[in-house]
Amino acid sequence: MLKIKYIFLVGLFSAALIGCDAKGEDPGTEYAPQMYHSVAYEPLTQITDQSAGSWLSSREDGKGEFFNSNVNNPGGINMREPVANTVRRDAKGMLPYRVHKDSIDYAAEFIKNPLESTDEYLTEGKRLYQNFCSSCHGEKGDGQGKVGVVYKGVPKYNTGRISKVSEGHIFHTIFHGKGRMGAHGSQISQEDIWKIVFHVQELQKQ
Amino acid sequence: MSLKRLFIGLIRIQLVCCFLFLSSVQGSMLYAQDAEEQEEESAEAESSDSDYDEAVVNAGRSIFEGECTVCHAINEKVIGPALKNVESRWDDRDLLKQFILNSQKVIQSGHEYSVKLYEQYDRTVMPSFDYNDEELESILAYIDYASNQKEQTASSGGGASASEGGGGEGGGGSTAGVPSEYLTIILVGLIIVLILILVVLLLIISVLGKFLNNQDGIESEDKEVIDQRFNIGSFVQSRAFISLVIFLFVAIVTKTGIDALYTVGIQQGYAPTQPIAFSHKLHAGEYEIECQYCHTSVEKSKSANIPSANICMNCHSEIKTDSPEIQKIYAAVENEQPIEWVRIHNLPDLAYFNHAQHVTVGGLECETCHGDIAEMEVVYQYSSLTMGWCIECHQESEVNTKDNAYYDKLVEFHKKKGGEPMKVTDIGGLECSKCHY
Repeated sequence: MLKIKYIFLVGLFSAALIGCDAKGEDPGTEYAPQMYHSVAYEPLTQITDQSAGSWLSSREDGKGEFFNSNVNNPGGINMREPVANTVRRDAKGMLPYRVHKDSIDYAAEFIKNPLESTDEYLTEGKRLYQNFCSSCHGEKGDGQGKVGVVYKGVPKYNTGRISKVSEGHIFHTIFHGKGRMGAHGSQISQEDIWKIVFHVQELQKQ
Repeated sequence: MSLKRLFIGLIRIQLVCCFLFLSSVQGSMLYAQDAEEQEEESAEAESSDSDYDEAVVNAGRSIFEGECTVCHAINEKVIGPALKNVESRWDDRDLLKQFILNSQKVIQSGHEYSVKLYEQYDRTVMPSFDYNDEELESILAYIDYASNQKEQTASSGGGASASEGGGGEGGGGSTAGVPSEYLTIILVGLIIVLILILVVLLLIISVLGKFLNNQDGIESEDKEVIDQRFNIGSFVQSRAFISLVIFLFVAIVTKTGIDALYTVGIQQGYAPTQPIAFSHKLHAGEYEIECQYCHTSVEKSKSANIPSANICMNCHSEIKTDSPEIQKIYAAVENEQPIEWVRIHNLPDLAYFNHAQHVTVGGLECETCHGDIAEMEVVYQYSSLTMGWCIECHQESEVNTKDNAYYDKLVEFHKKKGGEPMKVTDIGGLECSKCHY
């Protein structure tokens, strides 16, 4: 009967383990949780609950082991906002685009593409266009992208006034949005917008 | 001997019955499918009509889709009014043409209807155009054509409008073959029929057995066949049976135990409810929006960011504005409160992973690790994210060295060593300190 008892114990053990896997709302059991949770601030892992993980906490400030929000920032966010009145230059020394949203006519006339048109930029521009633009404007710039058809109000690039707008106009439109189109300046870097402008200009000619 | 044949014959009848039943079910399925296809064909044939001059309508369509759709649609308000049956709203057709060419001129002349429109649309100026009369006629012809056309398709449930986008999935799925729910019903029916046949056959056997027992003059050989009985009690108590059961039990328990041990610390399958019921199936699947449109930093940063609310607003400032889920985005924007999405992929802090490295340099597709996101209504963790999983990929994947001068020397050295293609492991992809430091 001793054997049966052992078998029974093994059965119980594996039954207990079955509950460890992740399913639906349950992230499953963590092995050595202190190795999972970052002590340093990490993107997308903000834990605002001060008592999270207090059952194994070794922190001197008495907070839970997993609490990792920055108490010095508003809302406990981990990223600092840029210092007031400072501007950021990117790797190529570009300053932020500061032409006002309403000054599209100024942009159309005076803003010029700082990049030289090369094959590399053209293929990169096409790829970026597919990522950021084609769902509305369509692969060929005809406004027949899957979203564009539903969203309505997407023009063709190659007819009428749109086919004649300047590079500055295109850049300004992508950066600030125009009409129903939203601003994409926060999503795409200025350099990448200029690469997209190359491809849009190709589509204008078609 | 004749009795044995009878028994065998009964079994054969059973098999034949099953086969006939199956083939008839299959036949009816095919018939239903054919009928469906025929209906579709006839519907297509009806929709073509010849009231319009096709060339003029097509010319108008190309102008309309090129220039007018920026602000107008046929059936709904975009920036300007819906243009369905626009001619019926203007008493003077020439004035309508004047309005298209130079709307401000008509408004300033004091035309009552156009002033009213101007005020109604917040004094938004319609730009002027220089169309000739032929072009104007073609535009109006197209609008007229489209006004009537949309009526027909709208009643058959085109489902193209954004407000229906989410709900319109149920109707679309049933076109390919037989729907799965019918299949289960058919299978259940089949099983019931088979059980009934079994019961009937058992009844026949017992009746025949009784009948034969009452007969005289049966050979002893046949008698044995008739009296055969299955003794459950002695079978269960036999040593072989008990040891078989114990062996199976131990094997299953050990297997589940080991499997369960492997799930500790692995979040594969984790699919938490998010604060907003965002559907990747709709956005990435149905509307084919690229992953990078929202997860903008995936090519440039260690982590693929969760989009901020302003990216949602690029579309949802106009689309589905009444939905309670979208209202949550508006609330977040107005209160300047971030939406707190629940993180699904939690790589332990002890391991380093960089998205840009894998996506930009390695050229991996998002789906390689994240699974078929375009089919996920609620996102779940597709891969195990274990070290074994990482290593397996590093051992098998070839390095994407094309057009990357960084690798030129490495490729040269690797070629000298041997002819095999250069894998990630050959350039230190399995070094401990690559991921653990």
